[in-house]
Amino acid sequence: MDGDSSTTDASQLGISGEFVASGQYVFQSQDDDGEENLNDHDDGGIKENFREQDIYLPIANVARIMKNAVPQTGKIAKDAKECVQECVSEFISFITSEASERCHQEKRKTINGEDILFAMSTLGFDMYVEPLKLYLQKFREAMKGEKGIPGVPGGDGLGDELTEDNFTNPLPAGIITADGQQQNVMVYTTSYQQVQPHTTRPDDTFLGGNLLQCPPKRLRLCCRSPPCSRSSFHDKALPLNTWPDDL
Amino acid sequence: MKMSQNTPDKEDQSSTNKKNISLPISRVRLIMKSSPDVSSINQDALFLTTKATELFVQHLAVASFNNGPGKATNSLSYTDLANTAEEMETFHFLTGELGCRLYRPAGTVMFSASSSLRWCVLL
Repeated sequence: MDGDSSTTDASQLGISGEFVASGQYVFQSQDDDGEENLNDHDDGGIKENFREQDIYLPIANVARIMKNAVPQTGKIAKDAKECVQECVSEFISFITSEASERCHQEKRKTINGEDILFAMSTLGFDMYVEPLKLYLQKFREAMKGEKGIPGVPGGDGLGDELTEDNFTNPLPAGIITADGQQQNVMVYTTSYQQVQPHTTRPDDTFLGGNLLQCPPKRLRLCCRSPPCSRSSFHDKALPLNTWPDDL
Repeated sequence: MKMSQNTPDKEDQSSTNKKNISLPISRVRLIMKSSPDVSSINQDALFLTTKATELFVQHLAVASFNNGPGKATNSLSYTDLANTAEEMETFHFLTGELGCRLYRPAGTVMFSASSSLRWCVLL
């Protein structure tokens, strides 16, 4: 169920920063645009570019939860917020490694809900287990509601056939996939002979039509920058497998 | 430049409220995946971890607030957190995390290694 966690947006990988919107449930890693980018990274291999202790949850969210927990008039020191932010990452790693260990012992590869709950009881957080089961139930109901009729696949957004007519119109965003997650993708085509939908990066600026002016040799560059105006290549059949390497 | 990610924000918020989450799941998953030997994570597990994290933040905040002198001053400080981590067994795993900033009485050393889940106190 866990898909590829590679992200296409550099700003999504910011470490800390103000993130005030509610958590989004998305397939690709996505966070609010207001986040700061503290570390350099590539689009792929995100995990390898961060040290474990550098990945934190957004401090605004953490601070908000703390604020709601203490009495209304209470104050929270800034270093206390930062401290809890770090502790939270520690907590997640703590639970995950225990759950992962159990998973391996049972020769399974995917950590499931039971592993997490078991890890919590083992590590002294058994008081969380019952409330969590209730939350999980509500969550499942909410997910079912989004999908519509349970059991019916939510649609395979990336598998849609596109015709030439779709060329000028990007597909709508927010496609819900079969596992209930919402995929925010813009699907572009770069060939008018045969179409291959693909997830685009936010800096792909060309939209239909313009593609026809891109020469086949420079197709990759044109995918990233404002289209060139070389109409001399207009009528040439474009090779089908000219996707940028990193897609 | 069109950013399609921004358009369904309102939908996300209303559906997220139904799911009762106020932390970004994607970030939680990132942290989970940074643990060694984690290959894939079930959706339920991801949700449970996110929700548990929220409970943990509340738990830690309230325990620290009530535990330390901060209750009198109606504020929560770093030292309240550090003291709570030392005094409450549930939060002992944090002592390594908090320890580097906390002044220690002479003769006490604590450390923890989160991935190996071992900690010890030397007196």
